[in-house]
Amino acid sequence: MADIKLEHISKSYPPDVKAVDDVSLHIRDGEFMILLGPSGCGKSTTLRMIAGLESITAGDLYLSGKRANDVDPRDRDLAFVFQNYALYPHMTVQANLSFGLRLRQTPAADIERRVREAAEMLGIGALLDRKPGALSGGQRQRVALGRALVRQPAAFLLDEPLSNLDAKLRAGMRTELVKLHRKLGQTIVHVTHDQVEAMTMGERICIMKDGRIVQVGAPLEVYRNPADTFVASFLATPPMNLLPARVEEEDGGGLAVVHAALRLPVAEAYWAAYAPYRDRPVILGIRPEDMYASAVPGGVAVDLRIVAVEALGPETILVTEFPGGAEVSSRLDRAFVGQAGSPQRLYVVPEQMQLFDPQTTLSIPRSRADLRPDHRSAQLRASPGATLAG
Amino acid sequence: MTVAADRLPSLDRRFGWAMTAPGLLALSLVVLFPLFFAIFTSGFEYTLLHRKYDTFVWLDNYRSIWSEGYLGQSLWVTTTFVVAVVLLEFLIGFTVALMLNAVQRFKDVYYLILLMPLLINPVVVGLIWRMFLHPELGIVNYVLSLLHLGPVNWLGDVRVAFWTVVLVDIWHQVSFMIVLLLAGLASLPREPYEAARMDGASIVQAFFYVTLPLMRPVIVVTLLIRMIFAVKTFDLIFVMTRGGPGTSTDLISYFIYRSAFYGLDLGKASAISVVLLLVVLALTGYLYRYMRSLA
Repeated sequence: MADIKLEHISKSYPPDVKAVDDVSLHIRDGEFMILLGPSGCGKSTTLRMIAGLESITAGDLYLSGKRANDVDPRDRDLAFVFQNYALYPHMTVQANLSFGLRLRQTPAADIERRVREAAEMLGIGALLDRKPGALSGGQRQRVALGRALVRQPAAFLLDEPLSNLDAKLRAGMRTELVKLHRKLGQTIVHVTHDQVEAMTMGERICIMKDGRIVQVGAPLEVYRNPADTFVASFLATPPMNLLPARVEEEDGGGLAVVHAALRLPVAEAYWAAYAPYRDRPVILGIRPEDMYASAVPGGVAVDLRIVAVEALGPETILVTEFPGGAEVSSRLDRAFVGQAGSPQRLYVVPEQMQLFDPQTTLSIPRSRADLRPDHRSAQLRASPGATLAG
Repeated sequence: MTVAADRLPSLDRRFGWAMTAPGLLALSLVVLFPLFFAIFTSGFEYTLLHRKYDTFVWLDNYRSIWSEGYLGQSLWVTTTFVVAVVLLEFLIGFTVALMLNAVQRFKDVYYLILLMPLLINPVVVGLIWRMFLHPELGIVNYVLSLLHLGPVNWLGDVRVAFWTVVLVDIWHQVSFMIVLLLAGLASLPREPYEAARMDGASIVQAFFYVTLPLMRPVIVVTLLIRMIFAVKTFDLIFVMTRGGPGTSTDLISYFIYRSAFYGLDLGKASAISVVLLLVVLALTGYLYRYMRSLA
């Protein structure tokens, strides 16, 4: 059992490359935390610093309340699963699994039992006498996981453990890992660049970019309330549509957000929040699933031209463009039929739009309550458009 | 022109033979001919005073080299030399390679310095060291005299000469070991070490449980190659000791030379050459099989 606390942690490489920059994060005991970000964002380096495989340039790392910056990796009681598994190629699966225990002089009977248990749990009992070279990618992955399991460490650190698996196996292992976490209740820090993994596995997601944390929160909370345009465009495929827009004054005295022919009136409750942006440019964000092919209550119609229709089976991704040229994606029902080049009317519910400041790229809060994450999710769930998707 | 698809492989093969024929011909002239000539000669009583293939003696030459007893001494010296040289060069070479592998800065400079002896011709190495080790004029004894030690008769003392030659050979050839072992170390994956650190291994444990097993193929190949070359050592002995004093540095290749050009008995010298060839062949065969088993 371990809680892991990072306080203002930085990692620089000479001459002056900053891989991780002032990262503070509290991973609670028993939590499944995801470090998510594009390659080079510092997520793996952060994980390796927790493990002790990488020295910490500045800041403090606390493991279960004790400062651990200078503690040797072997004394941190953490298990690490590597992206390419890092099995010992000259040892059998059995020896790979038991190596850590043998080094710690665990009694033989104990080793035997723990290896058997882990092998059973992961379904690799029949492979114990084989060497890694004779295993498939999925089997190696399980052995790597097993090696971590038998140690019964305080926490598991997983560095993109699923990225070398094929799509089907990956989906299966995602579920397995979540089940495993539920069963063991151990702290897990899982690094990935795959937003599907992040959304489906984590209790909380920590999104990183350029060595800094951009946002931390529960998956849906981060999804519904992205802190900036980076998070908005990183989570989900297709990502949130981001359009250059302006906040303009309506004839009746209210406000509207305008992009080309799309004119979205701002609800009166938000006038105060958006007032500072009057007559100024903003970035308008609309999730693809918040664009509808048929009229919805409160929906504003906009006429677009179809660029491409991607029928995925369970749903259809429609790519359309504004007369001005900006492209937007929408996630529609699988029954949707359309022809590239033909006009298409779509509907947008103004309450579902999000605005970002073009200078800072940060999300513009609509009210004080908006800053409280759960509020917005609840509000969205209650909104009429959400139930009428497609 | 069109060619039937099934004829392509045979055409390919013929083209391949045509392209390699000149090379194969040259090789058979300079390698195979002397080889078979030596085997042929070893069956005759053929001396430089009587250069005629008129007395076929079957295996008499082989019998006599055994019964005369000199071969046994030479084989013993050669074996000791090979074991000493290969073992010491391996120990020193592996240590230095491990150190170099950990070095971050000026690696190229160290590398260059260490490689230099290997670039020098063995005859030159022998001459340089013969001068260094000269009992009265050599720098080694001079330095020793400053420390109130010596003088040592490096190449003239029966008890010392053998180890002097071993040391000079180590000086000359140890970089070969370093280069090969360092290449092996540098190509080892980093991940198993990190996994071992997480598993709780100390540096020493990581060396014995990860480095050594992973390096095994490189080590075996390096040792075998070095053994094959050590068995054939000739130039150093020729320049430094001429097999002496007595027979204390009489390696087998020098023994062959002596039999042919001092003893003038080419038949006998050829017979010993064939024995040496068999030893080297056995080592090479093992090396070849081992390397194939790796692939």
